[in-house]
Parts: sequence; C-alpha cells; structure tokens
Amino acid sequence: MDFINKIIELFSTEKYMSSIWLGLQTTLIISVLAAMLGLILGAIIAIVTIAKDSKWMKIPKLICKIYITIIRGTPMALQLFIMAYVVFAIRGFPQIITATIAFGLNSAAYVAENIRAGILSVDIGQTEAGRALGLTSRITMIKIVIPQAIKNVIPAIGNELIALIKETSIVSMIGMYDLTMAAKIIGSGNNMASYIVPMAVVAIFYLAIVYLLTFVIKTIEKRLRASDKR
Amino acid sequence: MKKIIAISLALVMLMTSVFAFASCGSANKIIVQTNAFFAPFEYYEGTEIKGVDVEIMNLVGEKLGKKIEFVNVEFSAIIDNVKAGEVCDAGAAGITITDERKEKVDFSTPYYTSVQYVIYDKNASLETKTVDGVEYIVWDALAGKKIGTQTDTTGWIYTDGEINATASNDYGYDGVLYGKGSTNTNFDTAQLAADAITANQIDVVIIDELPAQYIVSKNSNFKCVPLYYSGADGEADAPVEEQYAICVTKGNKELLDAINAVLADLMKKDADGKTEIEKMVMKHMGLN
Repeated sequence: MDFINKIIELFSTEKYMSSIWLGLQTTLIISVLAAMLGLILGAIIAIVTIAKDSKWMKIPKLICKIYITIIRGTPMALQLFIMAYVVFAIRGFPQIITATIAFGLNSAAYVAENIRAGILSVDIGQTEAGRALGLTSRITMIKIVIPQAIKNVIPAIGNELIALIKETSIVSMIGMYDLTMAAKIIGSGNNMASYIVPMAVVAIFYLAIVYLLTFVIKTIEKRLRASDKR
Repeated sequence: MKKIIAISLALVMLMTSVFAFASCGSANKIIVQTNAFFAPFEYYEGTEIKGVDVEIMNLVGEKLGKKIEFVNVEFSAIIDNVKAGEVCDAGAAGITITDERKEKVDFSTPYYTSVQYVIYDKNASLETKTVDGVEYIVWDALAGKKIGTQTDTTGWIYTDGEINATASNDYGYDGVLYGKGSTNTNFDTAQLAADAITANQIDVVIIDELPAQYIVSKNSNFKCVPLYYSGADGEADAPVEEQYAICVTKGNKELLDAINAVLADLMKKDADGKTEIEKMVMKHMGLN
C-alpha cells in the first residue's frame, strides 16, 4: 500500500515530474543523436571492411579492424569515462556532445558488424548472376545485394538500438541528468529518501520507449517483407 | 582520393570549430564541481542544484564579478578534477579536510564541523551507550557488522582504516575492527547504502551527520546515532569529528582569497549567537 501511495505522490508532485521530464529529454536526445552517428559511421566501417583488397584499402581496413576490436572489447562505462575525463576534458565542453560521441562510436562498431553480416548473408549467386548479366560490380552491389541485405539487417540493428537506449542509463555516472539520474535525485535524502519507487517508475519509462521503438521496427520489417512468401 | 581529402578536411574544420565554440566564453566563469546528493549542502530541487555550498559560491561569484556554474559529478571524481584544474576551478561538496586531499588541492578555511553518524534498522540489535543524555555508538560495537559507506567519503576512509589497519602494514596503526569480521561495502550515494539496509544487504551505514538525519527523518524504520571513538581508560569517548571546506586548484590564490573572505563574513556570529552558515543549514533543512 505504501508502495502505491509513493507512486501517486511521485506522479502528483510537480518537481518530481519536472525531474523525470528533463531526464527523459536528455535520454532521448542522446539516444537519437548517438543512433544516427552510429548508423552512419557503422555503415562506413562496414563498407570499408567488406571492400575488395587493394593497396588503397589496406590501411583503412586495418584501422577499422582495430577500431571494432577495441570498442567491442572494452566496457561502455569505461569508454564513457575516458571520453568525459580524458578526451573531452575541456572547460565548459557540453556533456551532451561527449555522451553522444561516446555512445555513437560504441554503437558504430556493433552496427558495422551487423551490416557486414547482412551483406555477407546475401548468397554469392546473386552477385554472380548480376555480373553475368553485364552489370558492373558497383551496380550489382547497390541494386541487388544491398536491398536484400537491408532486410536481413533491420532486426539486428533494431536490437542494437534497443541496447543503446538502455545503455545510456550509465551517463548518470558522469553526472548527466538523464532518466536514471532523475530517479536517483527523486530518491535522494531531501526528496523521497528511497530509491525503490522512483527506480521502478523510471523503469516503466524505459520500457515504454523501447516498446515504441520495437513497434516501429516491426512495422518497417513487415513492409520490407511484404513480398516474401513465408 | 580527392573526396577523402575533402571529407577529412571538413571533419577537421568541424572539430576545431566545436573546440573553439566550447572554449570561448568560459574565461569569465567559475566552474564548481559538486555531488548533488548531500542535502542540505547540495541537492537537486527538481532540475536545479541548491544548498549551502551553492549559496556560498554564489556570494564568491558576486564578489569576483564572475558567473558560477555548478556541475554534478561523482563524489570520488571531484578532488582529482580540481587537482587537474582543466574542467573546473573549485569543488564544493561538503568536503572534509584530510591530509591526503591537502596534498592534491588547496582548502579554504573550514566552515562547518560535522560528526560521523551511524544509520541502522530500528529493530536491529546494536549496542549503544548513553552518557549525559547523548546516545552514541562506539567503533567496537560495529565488530562483525556489514558496514556500507559512500565511496571516497570520510566515512569510507575511516571505516577502511579501522577494518584494514594494523601496525605491521602500510597504515601503521591498529584499526579497531581489524580481524573482527566487519566488511566495508561501497555505494554511489548514502541513500543507496540506506536502501541496502532495507534490502538486508548490509547492517549499518556510516555517513555525515546532516545527510544521515535527512534519511532517517524520511524513513521511520531507521535510526541514527553519532559515532564515537572509545576513549582510553578513564577518558571519555570522543565523537568522530571533521571539518568541511571548499577546495580549489593549487595556486589559484585569487579564488581562494575570495572564498576565505566570504566565509569569514558568514562565520561572524550575530546577536542570537548564530552564524550565517548555521542559518543557511537550518533553512535548507527546512527547519526555519
């Protein structure tokens, strides 16, 4: 009963709701910007890693490989910490940019691998058929391979976006005012003096965001698979 | 190839403009780091940081004609950030003066004396003493208890010392709780530690006086008493006292002098025998 009373108290107090509102905004801004950065950079890295070997591509390929290894091999929390306290240790540097870059770079490594897997999943026969019909390798890639690859990649990318949104909760570590921080503030000594209720409420907010995103991804997937006979 | 060069040039220009944008306009600003989970000294009221330290620093800003900007970070990061002096000029977070910290940063004159408190479950069996109407607990009574503290606060430093110190290791003195089976668990905030009592993960929390009273006033299951060192034979037990001060980057004399001047004003007693600081504390505790 106490639990329900506290939930009602949380929703009916203006300063608590303004905390959650600000937190929600920060979480969404970081997620959206980082997702965009991650998708663009991830696509570029994927294209570089699957490009044909030539003397021009040797160094970019090596850089991308090292990048993916390092980013996937270290915890997000440490990457964020290094970004905030080493790379962008500049007076007055907006924290939101720090966080966006940290999460964008992290997401890019995973997205790159997802896209690479998607492109490789298209049967080699498709490429061969395209080439046999007299298309250039570039046109084959753009008109035949990529459209099929996108369909395979969407679920994996959606997965990565969901993980990204939830992972942004660690920005409270560098003092940013996101949803998790809002919960901590509402739960702190001068407010409700218990973390349990605000954390539960904020969890519902995260769930709502992720559910909405899942819905959008499902819709896109359905549209793309409209012509599939399954 | 041309395209790649063009793109990389554009990126470099973008980065430099971002850096330039970030660094301009901060010369006339004093950036103060804090950890806004330490009511009444600093806390979030909705989306704004308020508290005694904020009021003090705003007065300092007025004196120097500069804008004060408060930034919320983990408590354990403040001293090192102030030491480096790159991202901030000062730290105001109810920071206790200790010798280790003094080596890294310069401290202002102390403006508040605090005592360490122990928060515990009302129904738990904990041995307290009462002398002259003051109920307190001594370190020895915490033997075998699971203790929770906020990382890098003095509560954590003391507890760590009492549990791990013996004359033969680096600490060089005998800790009261050494070898008694007590454990020290770190939490991000005191509130999180207090919640861990409810969740039966730890037995007691050691934290400064005012935050402890705040937490206890909102949770009817908790109780808090001051923590004392047990005195030698025939001597009275003494509380675990400490003094708060504001820290600045070493060598920033202008700011330190301004802070000390403001603090000297605020520490003057008025007709009621109360200092301005005490009044601020009362105001932010909601006890006016």
